[in-house]
Amino acid sequence: MEETNKQVPVTVLTGFLGAGKTTLLNRILTEQHGKKYAVIVNEFGEQGIDNDLVVDADEEVFEMNNGCICCTVRGDLIRILSGLMKRADKLDAIIVETTGLADPAPVAQTFFVDQDVADRTKLDAIVTVADAVHLSTQLTDHHEAEEQIAFADVVLLNKIDLVDESGLEVVKERIKKINPFAKIINTTKCGVSLNEILNLDAFSLKRVLDVEPDFLTSDHDHEHDDDVTSLSFVSDTPLDMEKFQDWFSKLLQTKGQDILRTKGILDFTGESDRYVFQGVHMLMDASPMGKWPQGKERSSRLVFIGRNLESMNLKEGFENCKSA
Amino acid sequence: MKADTSQFPELDKTKFEQRGTEFKLGIPITNAVTVGNSIAVGFGDGTVRIFTSGESSEPIKAHKGIVLCMSKDGDNILTGGDDGRFLNISLDGKISEIGNFGTRWVDHVTANNGSLVCSSGNIVYLWSPNHKEPKLFEHNSTIGGIAFDAKGRRLAVSRYGGVTLWKKDYSNKWNSSELNWKGSHNKVIFSPDGKYLVTSMQENQLHFWRLKDKIDSAMSGYGAKIKSFAFVDDSKYLATSGAKEAVCWPFDGEGPVGREPICLPYVGNKLVTFVEPFPNENAILTGLSDGSVFLSEIEKASNTIIIRGFTEFEVSAIAVTKDCSHLLIGDMGGNILWTSIWDEEKK
Repeated sequence: MEETNKQVPVTVLTGFLGAGKTTLLNRILTEQHGKKYAVIVNEFGEQGIDNDLVVDADEEVFEMNNGCICCTVRGDLIRILSGLMKRADKLDAIIVETTGLADPAPVAQTFFVDQDVADRTKLDAIVTVADAVHLSTQLTDHHEAEEQIAFADVVLLNKIDLVDESGLEVVKERIKKINPFAKIINTTKCGVSLNEILNLDAFSLKRVLDVEPDFLTSDHDHEHDDDVTSLSFVSDTPLDMEKFQDWFSKLLQTKGQDILRTKGILDFTGESDRYVFQGVHMLMDASPMGKWPQGKERSSRLVFIGRNLESMNLKEGFENCKSA
Repeated sequence: MKADTSQFPELDKTKFEQRGTEFKLGIPITNAVTVGNSIAVGFGDGTVRIFTSGESSEPIKAHKGIVLCMSKDGDNILTGGDDGRFLNISLDGKISEIGNFGTRWVDHVTANNGSLVCSSGNIVYLWSPNHKEPKLFEHNSTIGGIAFDAKGRRLAVSRYGGVTLWKKDYSNKWNSSELNWKGSHNKVIFSPDGKYLVTSMQENQLHFWRLKDKIDSAMSGYGAKIKSFAFVDDSKYLATSGAKEAVCWPFDGEGPVGREPICLPYVGNKLVTFVEPFPNENAILTGLSDGSVFLSEIEKASNTIIIRGFTEFEVSAIAVTKDCSHLLIGDMGGNILWTSIWDEEKK
């Protein structure tokens, strides 16, 4: 296995057409002087991209041959990332600009599934650029827009100068309802400090410990069944490891298509370490992450982002995992 | 874990390392191809070097970024790069551009009897001898690999969902047929006798088709993706990387279905990353993820000798000159061993 510090970070920029992805991309490329970036683009925007190393590709979602229906990967990324790793000069980062209608799940899954990609690169973060004016309509009309918010580590809420304050609050609440983890940054013309979107290491298990989900306290009102929402559960009673694994693996096997993302910190009976995991659909990265901090209460926290969550009896399933 | 090379004195070098020349270039080696009694090597900085006995090798600036793929056309070298160029390079270093695809990479190149072929994206481009404009073969996904059969009448193109087999009829018209198998197919080769077609897949497995009756089957059980595989001793065995042993499937008789492969083990328990048939022998050169290279007889594993010790970098290229006098080994750390194979007195 390669050492972690040899892995080149990959930042994925998603967002609907016209939200400002290319503006953000050019901002990154012009502000980061002296750094060597490769940029992978999947559609030609109207603006040019100001970089030496631009790779033009077609988004290709490949199903794996292993019978797992949600195990899809991005063939174009496997090919290009594997190629870029043969370069003589080492890259500081790779930025992938997806098309407006891209599903981020296969992008994220590529970093779990392909060993060469996982050895030499790491998914740093999914940054979604959203248009403050049009996001609400896009979320209603397009599954892809919901998925791009659901998978985001950072949502750059752009063009805020074009909406009033109450309009902005409505959009933000909508984002939080879908994804309580995402950090929302208000911008005009994608004006953001680059350290808020680059080198976040958002997919590492360590970061799961740092991020406090920002849940709405308001009621869930009149959602359609196929809207993307989030649910979270907390327990101060330790969990039974065997029961949890049994419930959770069955849940992912049967409902993995509707469960977009999961994150959790778990307190198991008889274990001195905290267990941390994060997953994309059926794929999971999990590990003990050291002792519980002294003076802090041990508790388990579990968060789901997905569709039809209400139908999965998640609360009951989770309650049943508590040690008797 | 890293091995401490300083503990090993010079004496520990193999006779090939002592006899040959080692180059520590620090640039990843992406490809090597035999062109007569020379070997052309492609690098991750876009250069190509040509190794010929008794001559020095100077870098030829071919591509801007990476030499992604290499093949040969007679005495010329063909390369494709991440600068979108498909190049023809003569042994004396003259470069001519065959095609240019801009920001799209040239992922695969091959040739047969003067027909030059490359793929970029989902299109295969074929330049027939004396034709300025290429013929285009379009496919449903980005192309994973291309290969001519020995006679050049069939061109296999691997892709997502299987292989498209293009066949030239006697009026020189190309007709396609599909060989489908779910999943993404990468490198593709014909067996030298033309009876089989083999692909490596995104999954850790290979797939083969027997062309006379289209019977197909998977060859699985590997721990890693199979990046390198080749037929040995005409078409008797298919040697493969992707496991801690060189896995050699029998392709004589009725083929590998229901038969066990021969697995050649190596000291150190490392992953096999490259296999290269030793010309005219039932033997292979095996490169490992730690840089070491061995020569083994497939049916007599005890006759294994070490060619190169470890370098810490995975072997990414091995080639033998046509006259079997010299061999070249390259790895991802930019180390090359160029050596004569036989002792002078045994020549």
